[in-house]
Amino acid sequence: MTLRYARMGSDDRPEDPGKVLRRAVGEGRHLLWPALGAAAATLVATAARLAGPLVVRTGVDQGVSVGDRGVITWAASIYLGLLVLFYLASRWSTWAVAAVGERYLRRLRVRVYRHLMGLDLGFFERTKTGVLVSRMTSDLEALTTFTNEGAIAVITSTLTVLGVGVGLVVVDPALAAVVLVVFPLLIGASLVFRRYADEAYRRVREEIGLVLSSLQEGIAGVRVVQAYTQERHQLKRFHRVNRRYYEANLDAARAISVYFPAVDFLRTSTIGLVLLVGGSRVLAGQSTVGSLIAFLLYLNWFFEPIVQLSNVYNLAQAALAALSKLFGILDRKPAVAEAPHPVDLPEPVRGELRFEGVTFGYDPAAPVLQDVHLVIPPGQRVAVVGETGAGKSTLAKLAVRFYDPQEGRVCLDGYDLRQVSFRSLRRWVAMVPQEGYLFDGSVRDNIAYGRPGLDDETIWEVCERLGIDGWVRSLPERLDTQVRERGSRLSSGERQLLSLARTMAADPAVIVLDEATSNLDPETEATVERALGELLAGRTAIVIAHRLQTAERADRVVVIDEGRIVEDGTFADLVAAGGHFAGLRQVWADIHRTA
Amino acid sequence: MTRALSDPETRLGLRLIVGKLFEYRRDAVASVVSALIWMGLVVAGPYLEKLIIDRAIVGRRQDLLLPLVGLLLVVGGVKAVGIGGRRWYAFRLSYRAETDLRNRIFEHIQRLTFSFHDATATGELMARASSDLSQVRLIYAMLPITVANVAMFVLVGGVLVALDPVLGSLADLAIPVMGILAFVYARRVIGTSFELQQSLARMSTVVEEGVSGIRVVKAFGAEATEIDRVDRTSQQIFEASMKLAGQRAAFLPGFELVPAAATALVLWLGGLRVVDGAMTLGDFVAFTQYLVLLVFPLRLTGWFFAELPRAAAAAARVVQLLRTAPEITDPDEPAEMPEGPGEIRFSRVEFSYPGGPPVLRGVDLVVPGGSSVALVGGTGSGKTTLAYLIPRFYDPDRGAVLLDGVDVRRLRLDDLRREVALVFEDTFLFSASIRDNIAFGNPDASDDQITLAARLAGAHDFISALPDGYDTMVGERGLSLSGGQRQRIALARALLRDPRVLILDDATSSVDAATEAEIRRNLKGVMRGRTTVIVAHRTSTLALADRVVLLEDGVVVAVGPHRRLLAEVPRYREVLAEMDPEEATA
Repeated sequence: MTLRYARMGSDDRPEDPGKVLRRAVGEGRHLLWPALGAAAATLVATAARLAGPLVVRTGVDQGVSVGDRGVITWAASIYLGLLVLFYLASRWSTWAVAAVGERYLRRLRVRVYRHLMGLDLGFFERTKTGVLVSRMTSDLEALTTFTNEGAIAVITSTLTVLGVGVGLVVVDPALAAVVLVVFPLLIGASLVFRRYADEAYRRVREEIGLVLSSLQEGIAGVRVVQAYTQERHQLKRFHRVNRRYYEANLDAARAISVYFPAVDFLRTSTIGLVLLVGGSRVLAGQSTVGSLIAFLLYLNWFFEPIVQLSNVYNLAQAALAALSKLFGILDRKPAVAEAPHPVDLPEPVRGELRFEGVTFGYDPAAPVLQDVHLVIPPGQRVAVVGETGAGKSTLAKLAVRFYDPQEGRVCLDGYDLRQVSFRSLRRWVAMVPQEGYLFDGSVRDNIAYGRPGLDDETIWEVCERLGIDGWVRSLPERLDTQVRERGSRLSSGERQLLSLARTMAADPAVIVLDEATSNLDPETEATVERALGELLAGRTAIVIAHRLQTAERADRVVVIDEGRIVEDGTFADLVAAGGHFAGLRQVWADIHRTA
Repeated sequence: MTRALSDPETRLGLRLIVGKLFEYRRDAVASVVSALIWMGLVVAGPYLEKLIIDRAIVGRRQDLLLPLVGLLLVVGGVKAVGIGGRRWYAFRLSYRAETDLRNRIFEHIQRLTFSFHDATATGELMARASSDLSQVRLIYAMLPITVANVAMFVLVGGVLVALDPVLGSLADLAIPVMGILAFVYARRVIGTSFELQQSLARMSTVVEEGVSGIRVVKAFGAEATEIDRVDRTSQQIFEASMKLAGQRAAFLPGFELVPAAATALVLWLGGLRVVDGAMTLGDFVAFTQYLVLLVFPLRLTGWFFAELPRAAAAAARVVQLLRTAPEITDPDEPAEMPEGPGEIRFSRVEFSYPGGPPVLRGVDLVVPGGSSVALVGGTGSGKTTLAYLIPRFYDPDRGAVLLDGVDVRRLRLDDLRREVALVFEDTFLFSASIRDNIAFGNPDASDDQITLAARLAGAHDFISALPDGYDTMVGERGLSLSGGQRQRIALARALLRDPRVLILDDATSSVDAATEAEIRRNLKGVMRGRTTVIVAHRTSTLALADRVVLLEDGVVVAVGPHRRLLAEVPRYREVLAEMDPEEATA
């Protein structure tokens, strides 16, 4: 049996390159003047370089050939002057082109991310994290690579090829015609190579992706592999993947090993042709030795840029594809947006939460919640109970406006959440996710996450109230201790405690909490419970309960089944009523009875 | 640079690089020979041009023109073949070395023991097998052309002096100047590129955090904080890129400047010498062509030597990984796997993790074949460690673990682990179909066997409800399953092995109550006839076991049925009360 790897369908060709390009240029309108400056510098540099052979021709024909030392000295001086000009202009142009590109990208990066952060949660739930990360990293890096290495090459090479073409015609039109014969051959060879190499490199990219993910999996899953003694099997699979990568690379190498020699031979042939035809013309008195030398000098600059352009073509194509994906993100409209004239909740916020006839479905045709009515008075703790898929989490997400209902409304202190400004809403309503999610940074940064700049005194006060000040004090650098790799060195309980402290520091009026299901050791579990009690005291709270003891601690229990509230009352009432909730509790109790 | 190359680490890396070169000597020799042929003919080119100009054109010998141009074309043809050979063999050599080393790293990683993986981050190992190897590969790809280039500098230097001793010596000065310039440039650019790479990596971390923590970001309205972080990282990327641009801007035109300046010199001095008759026009052309010719080889060579210490360091890291010996291996003279019911005996077992305090301090315990025990204890009590000693994920420091009377260290790992299946606390699924994940330990299992295992693990129903059923792709690149679903697949994977000993590490921690009840019902059946060790984190799991073992501070403090311990051991009640407050009140 062979394991079938999920093939990553990576199509990196933009749909309409022209459209993407036009839009990309439009996005950079603010850089028009710097771009023009860079272009001018490039023009000057190219002109200075291309003027060189003309000076050499004059020096040879009117100095060396006729024995005029003055002309030779003059020509050499002018040549030197041109060099200085070339160096300065070229230095300026290389820098200026990069500056334009980097400024463009710097702005685009932040713009895309700002737009991303403004998108609704539904978008993030539909899109894999890896895809979004690669927009911001590999796609933008493709653009960086292009501005770093490609852009200047495109501009300089294009100008040089054009300039050399003009130079050749100026020096000797008849000889220039000889070169023009070779030119289509060169372009043709480059196009054929391009098509073949593109395909080969696409495969290389695909295969290296597979190699890396197999590698990652082989390392991350090594314990399972060893537990099931599948080392040999894994190795065999890895050899296969690695082999395919090797072969894809050889395909690309084959293309390269044919194309570059072919270009080189074309170059030699052109030189031969120029010497043959040009030599005969000199002998026939139709041209001069100086012209011939200038011609040979020009030819040095003729082949290199074309090869370079064909190399850069790949980078340019990758950059265009990346741009079109980034524009795709910028074009996405958030499903949950701030109202045009949002209001701030009047303070003090009491925390009365009201669901009025709320109907919602991720797919509107398949409602997850149906006509939900629920009024939670300020300061009440409500446990929401129900089976997986009943709609508990959806209710919680509507309470913090991660989604908007399709019918009905959700109100806080009488204000429809859709009218409330995001700033005010996030200030007063906080959601504590299932597992404590930490950010790279210090313990302080993580606690003060919702309130940047919070003073240490307040942070310590929060820690004391939650009973974690002792633990924080025991950390090597206390509040300055770095939470590395998203807290992977902290235990799951410690992460949850920090997450509670973060919520406490934000001091919201309403808390929506998805109870963690992961197991803690008994001592930590008790600490978390105590901290949670302290956090929820005096605040309106919706707790998505996964354990019955959580429900028992709540002021009120709401049972959801198939998107509707089926029971609502105190824990004791519901147990006594012998309905849905009593049934759920029975399952739980059964487990314990056999223990 | 010589200092960098003489450091022992680097020498270790260089030895690996040279060793591989010897292994693939046919490709290596073929590419170097092709490169040398190419080089010789490259140097011949301008000389032929000189001959054509001097003899045929200035010497007015029309009859020589065609044969000489013909010769030029023949030389050009052979030269093209040389280029092709040089590139092809160098590429093949470099990819062979890379692929081969990557296979070896992968194989070695698979063999390294748990204690190694506990201490080593995944990213660290990934870097060995990807970026470090890329660096090593580049050295192979560039080596043949560098050999040829160095030869070219010597040859061209000589030819220039031969053409005209005065002008040649002056022009030769440009070669070392450009060489040094190229080396300095490469070293700076490599350093700045590294800075750039780091800020790009930082961007990746920042974005990953913001995106996967989007619920927290939105819950706290912290979008601005995240955008600010991206903004700052963007600024770092911008600054590194601009620094790079500054370096390119200063040096790249400079590389053209030096040969061009030499051309100006040739134009002036050479021109005057031609007038004096000390030099020919052809010499003049050859001079300028040679100087242009050297630019690119000089840059490449500078880059090679700037990159070499880094590649050697990368190779050294690879060697060190490959030299790390796996701590747990097959015995030299393995014992036969004993027949038996699966009795496990721990005899005075002591264990501590490297550099850590003792975890187990003399555990004596017998689990009769076919029975089940639950290991109970707080964090750090050693319950998971004890279970991991059975399939030899770790070896005890003192004492022994026996399976049906034989020390597990005397058994072949393959035999031992075939009989001991384990469901880990955190379930790992491979990027493959659900079927392949269940059949992971038995790649030859039939569909019926797989379905049966899934049924036993309580996974069949939800798998069948998926659109693609058992063919659904899961793992990193597939459908994300809930914790409970993943655990059931892992359980099915273990059951398919039909092991003598089944170890469940907290196997039902992240499923809801109803599912847990279902799994427990199923487990009862599958535990029959095999020895089961449950690492219990919840009181509810205790119900499954015949006996409970209470561990504290690395020793067994009580053994017995749950009810008896509950009645007789006060400490047991305390531990349970901490595990599950409701139980204490019940």
